[in-house]
Amino acid sequence: MADPLVRIAGLRVEFDGIPALRGVDFEIASGEAVGLVGESGCGKSVTWLAALGLLPGKARVTGSVELDGQELLGAPMAVLDRVRGGQVAMIFQDPASSLNPVHRVGRQVAEALRLHRGMDGTAARAETRRLFDQVGIPDAANRIDAYPHELSGGQNQRVMIAMALAGRPRLLVADEPTTALDVTIQAQILDLLGRLRRETGMALVLISHDLGVVAETCERVAVMYAGHVVEEVSSARLFSTPAHPYTQGLLSALPPLDGLPRQHLPAIPGGVPDPRALPSGCAFGPRCPRHAALCDTAVPPLLQVVPGQRAACCILGADLPPAFGPVAA
Amino acid sequence: MTALLEAEGLVRRYEMRRGLLGRQVELRAVDGVSLRLERGETLGLVGESGCGKSTTGRLVLGLEAPDEGAVRFDGKPVPRPGSPAWRAQRARMQMVFQDPLGALDRRLAIGTQIAEPLEIHGIGAAQDRVAELLRDVGLRPDFAARYPHELSGGQRQRAVLARALATDPALLVCDEPISALDVSVQAQVMNLLIDLQAERRLTMLFISHDLRAVRQVSHRIAVMYLGRIVEEGEPDAVLRDPAHPYAQALVSAIPQPGKAAVRQVLQGDPPNPAARPPGCAFHPRCPVAVVACRHLVPELKPRASDGRRVACHVAQNEAMETAA
Repeated sequence: MADPLVRIAGLRVEFDGIPALRGVDFEIASGEAVGLVGESGCGKSVTWLAALGLLPGKARVTGSVELDGQELLGAPMAVLDRVRGGQVAMIFQDPASSLNPVHRVGRQVAEALRLHRGMDGTAARAETRRLFDQVGIPDAANRIDAYPHELSGGQNQRVMIAMALAGRPRLLVADEPTTALDVTIQAQILDLLGRLRRETGMALVLISHDLGVVAETCERVAVMYAGHVVEEVSSARLFSTPAHPYTQGLLSALPPLDGLPRQHLPAIPGGVPDPRALPSGCAFGPRCPRHAALCDTAVPPLLQVVPGQRAACCILGADLPPAFGPVAA
Repeated sequence: MTALLEAEGLVRRYEMRRGLLGRQVELRAVDGVSLRLERGETLGLVGESGCGKSTTGRLVLGLEAPDEGAVRFDGKPVPRPGSPAWRAQRARMQMVFQDPLGALDRRLAIGTQIAEPLEIHGIGAAQDRVAELLRDVGLRPDFAARYPHELSGGQRQRAVLARALATDPALLVCDEPISALDVSVQAQVMNLLIDLQAERRLTMLFISHDLRAVRQVSHRIAVMYLGRIVEEGEPDAVLRDPAHPYAQALVSAIPQPGKAAVRQVLQGDPPNPAARPPGCAFHPRCPVAVVACRHLVPELKPRASDGRRVACHVAQNEAMETAA
């Protein structure tokens, strides 16, 4: 990538000596939509909390996070205040707990406008209304004066998105934005995120545990496992030719919508490793059907499989059968 | 042979007060649900939050008494909750919830918790029975000595299943049993449920918001919206060709990897059960609603063309005259 918008290199995070991120390298181009997939505890949220300096003080963060060439790790507060909510905005899973319950939603959006665009009074109110219209809140003029508890979960998430847009961000990080919402509302929010990206040209990072959601919304997907990116691939190739056994396992664990019903799914055995007792070498080794002695010697680096696809696995090859194929009859 | 479980016209109302001094509002969580569970069959109950699927699960187990309607288990009416007869029957029906950590007692070893229903129902708590149950759900017998916090999410849900199976129940109600688990672990638990169902000829009510999961484990599915079943049929038939507009929206909302999104996005918010629209409750969000939908409540009945049970005037071709 020539000049990425964000370049994360060798990012490591430790909490009380327990590793949460173990060296993450990741780039995002302007206007790109990238998905970040993985199971709980794999570090997909921590990556962005660390990048924006939002982790508690006990976290030890090393490595580098550059936004437009400017280093963010250890940057002075004044710089971070401009970046957070300004150039990079973030929305979270549970909109109700991100909003202040005792302030009207319009006022909370206006606050972001004041901080990042210096708008006040009627100008801020007019812009808040425009943002509410843009994120598809019906009856925007009246909803501005509503409190969060008066709105549904989907509407509150729209308010959060409006607030995120207030700073005209170049990157929106959406951390499980639809997980707490109903299926039909999830579809609405994903559609909205796609439309806003086309309208504003901002880049989008969509963090999710749901491969389907990510593949539909993003052009490129990074799969994380135990604090590492284990595969980086275009959404199209993710489903046709996943390279890493973990990615293959995640895909085959998704119940199919056709074929014989009530058949065994080729599930990944075991569970996610305890970060206090990570296996030596490849963290996925103990659960991997391709596991060999070689895998325990060193953590495999991300290597190119084909242009546009990289995987961190010791045993890669086009002629290998899928690690988690359909169960043999 | 009679069905294992028959529920007829279940209604459950809650009284709710709006605001501090507001007047009482009636909330119909379940509004006339009838279902039939044949022995050894899994019925998947799908719907969004607040549609009454969990309440339906509690009603069929007799954890709550319905305001109207009746539940028959094994041909006999379910006794009043709390009565000795109800307690005796509870051994034959068990429930599994979403959050296994919340369902387990953190201060008791897993083995003690699995033995508890055996003691309560006077079955006798032999240690080998606990070991056998643990093996049945894919845990090693030495897990009996462990505490819930020492187990992973998937292992905890297996322990909950072992406890539910201790009394050798005929009916298992699973309320979102995999929603709190990681994707790779969800598949393991679904496999286990399929196996247990087949080996023990269990009858299951599988409650979930996830159509993929429901298809994976169910013989039949019922789609709920605002306290009513709006469509019922074979999983593949419903998924391939959903008849009710709400079921169509649910199916099209399933993220389909690799398929370009021609998603039908439903407008509007999920409905408020305290302010149920008149007529068909779905009509304010329905893309094909006609005049009749606004005042006539559609009845769940077999469609003329293929016998699919659907509660929709349009799908039943009843509304055309009024629309013209």
